[in-house]
Amino acid sequence: MQRIYLDNNRTTAVDPQVSAAMKPFLEGSYADLHALHSDGARSRKAYNEALEKIYATLHAGEKDSVFFCSGAAEANSTVFYSTYINFILSGRKNSIIIGEREPLSILQIAEFLESQGVRVHRIPINGDGVIEHERLLDYITPRTALVSVSMVDGESGAIEPIDEIAAICRRFEVPLHCDATHAVGKIALDLQSTELDYLTFSSETLHAPAGTGVLYMRKDSELLPLVWGGRSEAEAYRGGPLNIAGIAALGKAVELAVDSLEFEMEDVRDMRDMLEERLKEIEGVHTLVPWALRVPNTLLVAIEGVESEALLYELDKEGVSAYSNTVYPYGEWIRTALPEAMGLQRSLNHTTVGFALSRYNSEEEMERTAEAVKRAVEYLRSFMPSKESL
Amino acid sequence: MSKSEMLMNGCWESYPFKIEMLARKPKNQGELRAEDAEKLEGELVSVEYGSVESGEWIRLYCIVDSDKRVAACRYQLFGPPVLRAAADMAALLCRNKTAAEIEKIDYRNLEYFLRDHPSNPALPSNRNYIVNFVVNALERMVDKLEGREREESVQVCKCAGVDLLTIEKAIRDYDIDSIGGIGDYTKAGVLCGRCISHSSNAPAREHYLEDILKKVRKELLEEGKAKSDIPDKPFSQMNLEEKRAAIEATIDEYIRAMLVMDGGDMEIIDIKENGVNTDLYIRYLGACSGCASASTGTLFAIEGILKQKLDPNLRVLPL
Repeated sequence: MQRIYLDNNRTTAVDPQVSAAMKPFLEGSYADLHALHSDGARSRKAYNEALEKIYATLHAGEKDSVFFCSGAAEANSTVFYSTYINFILSGRKNSIIIGEREPLSILQIAEFLESQGVRVHRIPINGDGVIEHERLLDYITPRTALVSVSMVDGESGAIEPIDEIAAICRRFEVPLHCDATHAVGKIALDLQSTELDYLTFSSETLHAPAGTGVLYMRKDSELLPLVWGGRSEAEAYRGGPLNIAGIAALGKAVELAVDSLEFEMEDVRDMRDMLEERLKEIEGVHTLVPWALRVPNTLLVAIEGVESEALLYELDKEGVSAYSNTVYPYGEWIRTALPEAMGLQRSLNHTTVGFALSRYNSEEEMERTAEAVKRAVEYLRSFMPSKESL
Repeated sequence: MSKSEMLMNGCWESYPFKIEMLARKPKNQGELRAEDAEKLEGELVSVEYGSVESGEWIRLYCIVDSDKRVAACRYQLFGPPVLRAAADMAALLCRNKTAAEIEKIDYRNLEYFLRDHPSNPALPSNRNYIVNFVVNALERMVDKLEGREREESVQVCKCAGVDLLTIEKAIRDYDIDSIGGIGDYTKAGVLCGRCISHSSNAPAREHYLEDILKKVRKELLEEGKAKSDIPDKPFSQMNLEEKRAAIEATIDEYIRAMLVMDGGDMEIIDIKENGVNTDLYIRYLGACSGCASASTGTLFAIEGILKQKLDPNLRVLPL
């Protein structure tokens, strides 16, 4: 039985075109970016091509910088450490504002900085699972060092109101950082119309192998490297030899994701909607973020009376790989469960399961998944008292 | 961090076969009704523990017959597959036992019965709380069977729904000395983390895990329980008294549970040093004496565990 992979918000299958783009650097010679020979020239060519593609797809300005690192987690850490040292330790600014449901790399470093005496404010989400951008006004002052909000929530697929947040940040002249790992290739992204200071994303959600990330920085922004040892501008903010194979793969992956964004995401959205309709036929199934506020590939449901891990276990037996962030101590598990953060009944806290699609899924797979969920829900509810009100 | 902690061994694929079988094909789930009690000419008793809000909930049903023995035991639950496996094993173990016998099913026995191999723990340490959860539910069942009132206790961890008494008991029973340990055995403090210690940006609470841990550790130290009698040196260099203490401790920790669950037990008669070898003379008690396996399988298991835990030159001789 072919397995159905619906965990594409975490990692994705490598696209054959992407693997073809990185192949020359895995087999055959693989030279350092600064090597003075023809092999080095080949690496430089691949690096330049990938960089051009990233500038083009992000619509980044000529004077802005883009550099590569090991992933969004490293890029996020670079931005936060740099802000801490450059702005807060020096006494120029005094606080940081983050979204309540940022990725772990941000939540953890924010907690660490808090332990170092930095004031950290967290903007809550509303009943739709989207950040209440007006609450930003409660915390923001000209002394705020950084505002950091993800473009898209990796668990629920909620699209955050970045344009509104950016406008508020401009007004107070506070730098804005966005983790766009779950946004690239899912929603249109134009840095000419959305004014961000830092943007970070990873390769693993773009049908490229994990291990490469991008940090975009608007001109005139300040940044210190986290990893030292850069020998040229390409390595200025991240020392150590670059992973040319990974960069070639990421360049190709970004190009594919953005070029085919519209028609591909339409197909994915249709499949997702089909699954959503089928799951809603089951009694006691709640979809957590309104359709219009969600990226096209994600469906997060809370199912009354069905525990997340138990459902994942049953689905796994049926060959379906789904995900849940509420299974302690595994995975992307965050301290506050999404239903509680959204103000839903607490009995839904441990019942969320997500399905993240990609262009490699098919309608037939959605049909099979819906059937598998139906069977699993029926089985797991047989362990619960029938008239237990939840 | 050690190599064993670095290895990714905490997920489904590394659980024992026994847990997988029980999670996949549980046999004791379901409800027991008054009709069932009538049919078995017994009395129906049920208890609930945990809550759906905190991620684990269980309702245990027992039918107690005229001999005060559990004639049937079933459960209903909300929780992960491991909870299903642990609850199923507990329901199986309860059958045909009296309340006093069920009271003897503690964490160590239940966990032992979920193992594939005597020396491999059934679950990664951060999931100990699931076995402990079932043990706590059994405790409530025993209280109800015996007609004892449970002491009221305040809730310390609201996310996981853990009360003060449960935490204090866990610290004592499992000799916990860290906040992480409390989380491993009770799940308290692992979700939002606000009950661990006082922080300036959250409203103050009555109890914090840090204070509870400090208080109970102090009590334990005063009672002399936290201190072990076993000296910290290799078995071969111990004198006879120390060897006896070490062997007793190992038997208590790893062996006695499996004997007691089958209605047996053992005692040490003598320990003799015989060159490099140490000979341990034992006597089987209860159901073990006269059991066919006492001179084969059970003996090999006892000897194997002692050899592995203490010294390869140890011999066990049943009298």
